[in-house]
Amino acid sequence: MRKYFPLFGTFLFLSLIFFSCGKQAIREITVDPGSPDTIPTDYYQHGIFVINEGNYNWGNASISFVDYNTGAITQNVFDKENGRDLGDVAQCMKIFNGKGYIVVNNSNRIEVVDIKTFKSIKTITGFYSPRNISFINSSKAYVTNLQSNISILDLRSNEITGSIPVEGWTENQVLYDPYMFVTAIGEYREPSFRRNPMILVIDTRTDLIIDTIPTGKEPIGLIMDNQHKLWVLCSGGYDYFEAPSLIRIDPGNRKIEEVFTFSTTQTVPSRLSINTSGDTLYFLNGGIYQMPICERGIPIHPLVNANGRLFYGLSVHPSSGFIFVSDALDYVQNGMVYQYNTSGTLIRQFSVGRIPGSFCFTTDSLR
Amino acid sequence: MSKNNHFLLLIFVIQVICVPLGAGLSVNAQNLKDTLRLPEFEVKSGFISDNQGFKREKLDSVLLLKHLDADLSEILSRNSVIFIKSYGNGTLATPSFRGTTAQHTQVEWNGINLNSPMLGQMDLSQIPVSQFDEIEILYGAAGISRTGGAFGGVINLATNPDWNERIKVTLAQSLGSFDTYSTNFNLMAGNKNIQSRTKANFTSSLNDFLYYNDYLGTKVRQENASCLQTGITQEVFWKIKDKHIISGRLWYNYSDRNLPPTATDYGQGHIEKQKEKALRAVLEYKYVERKFNIMAKSCLVDQYMNYYLDTTINTTHKYCSWINRIRFSYLGIRNLTIKPGIDFTRDWVNSDSYDGIKTRNTTSILAEINYDIGKKIKTSLVIREDVIDDKFLPVIPALGLEYAPLYDVDWKLTINLARNYRYPTLNDLYWSLTGNPDLKPETNYSVEVGTWYHWLSGNRKFFIESSLTGYYSWIYDMITWQPIEGSNLWEPENIDEILARGLELGLNLKYDLWGFDLNWLTNYSFCKSTYEKASSEYDNKIGKQLIYVPVNNLNSTISVERWRFFLKYNFCYTSARYTGKDNLSMMPGYTLSNILAGKNISMRNFMLSLQVEINNLFNLDYQSVANRPMPGINYYFTVKLSFDNPFKK
Repeated sequence: MRKYFPLFGTFLFLSLIFFSCGKQAIREITVDPGSPDTIPTDYYQHGIFVINEGNYNWGNASISFVDYNTGAITQNVFDKENGRDLGDVAQCMKIFNGKGYIVVNNSNRIEVVDIKTFKSIKTITGFYSPRNISFINSSKAYVTNLQSNISILDLRSNEITGSIPVEGWTENQVLYDPYMFVTAIGEYREPSFRRNPMILVIDTRTDLIIDTIPTGKEPIGLIMDNQHKLWVLCSGGYDYFEAPSLIRIDPGNRKIEEVFTFSTTQTVPSRLSINTSGDTLYFLNGGIYQMPICERGIPIHPLVNANGRLFYGLSVHPSSGFIFVSDALDYVQNGMVYQYNTSGTLIRQFSVGRIPGSFCFTTDSLR
Repeated sequence: MSKNNHFLLLIFVIQVICVPLGAGLSVNAQNLKDTLRLPEFEVKSGFISDNQGFKREKLDSVLLLKHLDADLSEILSRNSVIFIKSYGNGTLATPSFRGTTAQHTQVEWNGINLNSPMLGQMDLSQIPVSQFDEIEILYGAAGISRTGGAFGGVINLATNPDWNERIKVTLAQSLGSFDTYSTNFNLMAGNKNIQSRTKANFTSSLNDFLYYNDYLGTKVRQENASCLQTGITQEVFWKIKDKHIISGRLWYNYSDRNLPPTATDYGQGHIEKQKEKALRAVLEYKYVERKFNIMAKSCLVDQYMNYYLDTTINTTHKYCSWINRIRFSYLGIRNLTIKPGIDFTRDWVNSDSYDGIKTRNTTSILAEINYDIGKKIKTSLVIREDVIDDKFLPVIPALGLEYAPLYDVDWKLTINLARNYRYPTLNDLYWSLTGNPDLKPETNYSVEVGTWYHWLSGNRKFFIESSLTGYYSWIYDMITWQPIEGSNLWEPENIDEILARGLELGLNLKYDLWGFDLNWLTNYSFCKSTYEKASSEYDNKIGKQLIYVPVNNLNSTISVERWRFFLKYNFCYTSARYTGKDNLSMMPGYTLSNILAGKNISMRNFMLSLQVEINNLFNLDYQSVANRPMPGINYYFTVKLSFDNPFKK
């Protein structure tokens, strides 16, 4: 029977191989094709940040950075500069006073980074699924949440100093000094027919809601044009409750001036944006739509067709007017970003992280 | 050298070839089972289809008895080629079998479907091992004799009556790390004609293990992870004149668990929890004769599930199933066995996520024909026709062939071919707003080739069993949930094409050396399962491995028994799992080791077992799913007291 010993011997041999595998912690690793090996100091002053939401509950949100000067793309810049993950579902990033504020929705926090180095300055916690941040002055900002309230942030200490109670989900904000206009969608868990959508008008001096303006279902987008008119994009409801609409409001007297209704309920337009001169609106509705503010109706044809792509994020570059749009593909692989000029010609395309949802631009000009 | 030695040499060569492979990346080795100790009480009947040419194996009761406090996911991940994707102790654990998804693995309890008709899959963490006696694994097309749509295979959890005249009571108590307590009670009583079995279990855990949180850069205690699971099974078997067996089974299972946050969301106060209740009742009749068998069973399943997340989600799903099965076997013609059967299932679902109550009727007509050509060749043909509501699915055929070329050597070659269909789940069809009633069934074509060798030495001291199986399987029209263009909703569509091919290798050696019982059991699987069709021209997934399906998976157990002491060492290697369809992100591979040691002490009719189990022996800091922390080294102590009193005649 001695001849069978080699069989048991192989077990020991196999075992040895596997234990020699080392004790390194087993964590997700990513391959970032095209990222530079070494990142120069103060690298992040001139460029585009692409905020990749990542998959809900996978904890794989990331930021991609495109350098204006060289066009080089660096993936996962938050992880690289801070040695830790960004979190779960990065909603947006805004730059204020040399600091980047990254709103991480499902992690209930905002990461504050130095915009030159992208090193973390502070992590602000205590939100309720934060959506957006809007700066009022050098010391104060409002953060909208998916649940319960609007958080008041002290920008000097970067701490939450209070909250404004609201019903459910608040989304976008525009400041019309001294009033903050906020889109309020309603209770997140309710279907559209039970939600009370409106624009809240908050006096930023007292943090009190002083007025409300009812809107169509799911007022997801809000921007201000060069005539100082507010534009509200109502998606009509995730459940196709009603036809989407685009509403123009005079923030002075808080009256609705015009309602443009989309032709069908079976679409959910999103990502209302405006160019720098404030005279042309952009939004996604499958393809990219372009609408001068003087136009008397919703455009019928898109500026750029989706052609099978899943356009997910849209922003207009503030100084150049280039349109940046992201494609999340099937959400389970890395997305793409397409750069178009105002006539819809593709200028460039590049690969970013998982589910690219929004953009943040540094203030200088794009080459 | 005898022929036997040639085979041994061959097996050895296979092992040696595998080893260097393992050294590099990942690697190696295979599957097996414990056929040596067949339960002495098994009622031989023709109902378990023989499926010549298909691959089946059993994990036996001896193994399960040592892990009464475990759940099915732990047992399978350590002792089979099935990969279990686990989100953490006591949380969601789903199987991936032969490179398919959890929906392609059917889990059954005594032939009754456990997969939810809504989601089409089963959470293996919710099945306590103590509630059944053996695990039967049917690979790929072998499952067609049980059900359609199980492209990966079928896992059947069986309980069997013991027709000895006796009373046996077992009480086991485990306590382990993270405030884990598990109590098991088992009562078996009866005689040659009537038997009763009662099994009850209760498990609770705080599950607050320490782990290194990369986001916070410090060690933290897992939060919101406690779980409770309890269940009771009552079975009664009644045998009349050795020809009729009437049995009734009732299984109630309750679980209440908190679902822990991802590592990046630690301390953010998420409240996420899930509560489940399930009642399953089966009435079965068997008529057994030399040439003719009948089996009829009827089963009711009633399930409740509630999911709560912060203030945003609070949904309840309730469903009922009425499952009926009738099987005949006719063994009256030489070399030929004919087994026709009919199944009827009705499902009712009342879910907050559907618009109203949805129902489904599934009728299956099937026939299995086993035919022996001479003494060396056995064939098996299974034909199945599923009718769902009023839709006839295409015919599901499976053909198997088994060839044993040598009379004096227990060596078999097998091949099988099959076509299979999986009908969409009720979620796919009826999910509010985005359910897609126009979905087609998924289609699968598969071929499998295998070899199996078995040898017991003349003095019965050495036993070897080895198997090597290769398969090649195409899935068309796979249902995938996709985001809808211009909306935040997702909808199911027949999008993906998957090609899964792989090798499974199994080796089981037993050696009685100077009174030491030595056993080495190894399972290895190599599985390349890739996306073969892009959903758009920008899609980057063609030829890439499916997410969370490891290419290599190996587990190996060596055990020694002597003087009623036992020592068992197990290790499992799982290679990298991709986390994106473009394969640009992944979880690295890892090896986990576990040790089980114990002693059985007999005193007249009593037996006391003491055992200690150490999991994650080398305290590896790992995650199986990205950002889902797993515990480091942990311990379980079990005390088991049995009383066995065979009634004196």
